[in-house]
Amino acid sequence: MMESLNFEPATAEEARDQEILRNSLTYWQDVWRRLKNHKLAMVGLFGVIFIILFAVFGPLFSPFSYSDQNLDFANTPPRLNIYQVAENPDYNVFLTRDYKLLHVSDNGTILNRLKLDDKDVINKKYTYVDGNKFVLLDFAYNLLPGMEAEYDYTFSLNGAPEISQPLQKVPNRLYPFGSDDLGRSLLVRVMFGARISLTIAFVASLVNLLVGVVYGSIAAYEGGRTDNFMMRFVDLLNSIPLVIYIILIMVLVGNRGLWTLTLALGSVYWVQMARLVRGQVLSLKEQEFVLAARALGVNRSHIIFRHLVPNAIGPIIVAMTMMIPSAVFTEAFIAFIGLGVSAPMASWGTLANDGLTGLLSYPYQLFFPSLAIAITMLCFNFLGDGLRDALDPRLRKG
Amino acid sequence: MKNYFLRRFIYSLFTIFLIATVTFFMMHSIPGGPFTREKPVPPEIMRALNAKYHLDDPLIVQYVDYLKGLVTFDMGPSFSKTGTSVNDLIKAGFPITARVGFLAVLLITVLGLPVGIISALRQNRPIDYFVMFMATLGVTIPSFVLATVFIYFFAGKLGWFPPFGLATPLGYVGPVIALSGYSLSFVARLTRSSMLEVLRQDYIRTARANGLKELSVLGKHAMKNALIPVVTYLGPTIAALMTGSFVVERIFAIPGIGRYFVESVSNRDYTTIMGVTVLYAAFYVLMVFLVDVLYAIIDPRIKFEKESG
Repeated sequence: MMESLNFEPATAEEARDQEILRNSLTYWQDVWRRLKNHKLAMVGLFGVIFIILFAVFGPLFSPFSYSDQNLDFANTPPRLNIYQVAENPDYNVFLTRDYKLLHVSDNGTILNRLKLDDKDVINKKYTYVDGNKFVLLDFAYNLLPGMEAEYDYTFSLNGAPEISQPLQKVPNRLYPFGSDDLGRSLLVRVMFGARISLTIAFVASLVNLLVGVVYGSIAAYEGGRTDNFMMRFVDLLNSIPLVIYIILIMVLVGNRGLWTLTLALGSVYWVQMARLVRGQVLSLKEQEFVLAARALGVNRSHIIFRHLVPNAIGPIIVAMTMMIPSAVFTEAFIAFIGLGVSAPMASWGTLANDGLTGLLSYPYQLFFPSLAIAITMLCFNFLGDGLRDALDPRLRKG
Repeated sequence: MKNYFLRRFIYSLFTIFLIATVTFFMMHSIPGGPFTREKPVPPEIMRALNAKYHLDDPLIVQYVDYLKGLVTFDMGPSFSKTGTSVNDLIKAGFPITARVGFLAVLLITVLGLPVGIISALRQNRPIDYFVMFMATLGVTIPSFVLATVFIYFFAGKLGWFPPFGLATPLGYVGPVIALSGYSLSFVARLTRSSMLEVLRQDYIRTARANGLKELSVLGKHAMKNALIPVVTYLGPTIAALMTGSFVVERIFAIPGIGRYFVESVSNRDYTTIMGVTVLYAAFYVLMVFLVDVLYAIIDPRIKFEKESG
């Protein structure tokens, strides 16, 4: 009698409250949801996607390949300071820092190089010729003592009045990032450099991943003496300055191909990954699901690779994301001391190395590859930080 | 405790020995000797050269000779620089490299640690954001970019510092900044995060609840634990900085060890490569050993774990 008083039928509205409206999220959906809310991580993710697209598809849109040379157009900066020496029809010229005179269109396309006809070194007057046009360049003003002029150069076409002020700065249409000392498009070379740098970084990290995961998980699962022995070896490798060993491997192998570098990097940096995986597996292997699998007679490799490693995938992915930028870094470092991929191939490191020689005259040749390295590092770091928070909320840092 | 240190020390020696061995056999398996030139050397001269440097002995004899040399700190003659021994090169280069490296380490400790701590104490305030922004930038910019940008602006455009060499004290500014940039940022980040971790611990709350002065809470209780990961990182970093960054020395034209190493790699100067590698590795192993010792002193737990594990 009391019961009938205490219970009343739920209204339709109340019943609806109990319904499960949303689908339950899988692990990866949950990770994605958390990652999406992490602004910096999304910046990093889009940055990484952009860099990969840039590397893969960028070169397709360019008329040049990474090894196309045009010595006439060597060392042109990304922005051209053009002088208009004739109007109607316009005739614009650009003077490179090594005194090559280039004919440039109004919108910044380099058309052709004028031939140097006469060199009056004493009076600092050069004459250039293009068909029936003669351009006289006088650059004595700022070079002679006591003659502090407002301008650096004067130009005159076929004896017309001298032009001493540049018309405007136009972007270099032919070579948006400028051209290098052999007249190759720096933009295309940076894009190809991205291919090389990223390939090396990805493959090296993959090798590290494989070796590290296999090594670490076996050591941890076997335990005891095997573990002790295997980890002593890792300790040993860890107490060796690895960059030196990469350099030695590069010297030893001799051929400076893409794969040599990849293998050199891949063979050395798996140590941290092995340690990480070992730590994860050590704590996982005591759990009941492993005991259950063992009781069911699942064999060892199955337990390790089907049960243990997938459960440690979060930290592994984070470590992998962090490994890629450090591989880019190391590769650039090695290339910079002259052990990178051989010419005409170029990674970002080799490009930066090439740019170093002309630093004070052509800073852009160093600037763009360096910028590419820095942006890549930044994006992967952001993404890695975000992934760490998303994959394992417990590790979320302050 | 003594036993533990002794074991660690023997282990370190063994590591150095192993590195020396691996380096030796690696160098000797490279095709082409140090006297291989584009223009072939007459066989008699080749023989004489090989005899002079004992390259005609069986490999195992050369190896034993080499080890004997190492024990007496004699690295043998340099192949490419006639008349100089590897010891001479190291004697000439190491002090310079070490001086620059020491200054870099100094900068990292006197700037990186306090900045990281301040950043942790002022978490999510403007100063924290600023420090973290700079530190993030710092770990993404390679040292050679830092060095070249420095040369371009401060040496080239502004002319405040000499662009190369260490002739004046001002010459040290560029190399030290370029060398320490990455580690400095890393240390600041590491100190911050580990300090934050420690500050959340219960014993810090207890210390505060017991009415300890803030200075004592931070300096005595928090710092000691927060610095453990930093010490771990600093050990190998000190070794790396003291033995020179090849890149920075190359850009600033500093005649240190790093430059010799790069030169010897391209010249195939085997004895110099081996000498510098072993020196570098020994220094590194020594630093790792010192960190282990320091560890056992700051954190008794670690010693126990290592002994039982």
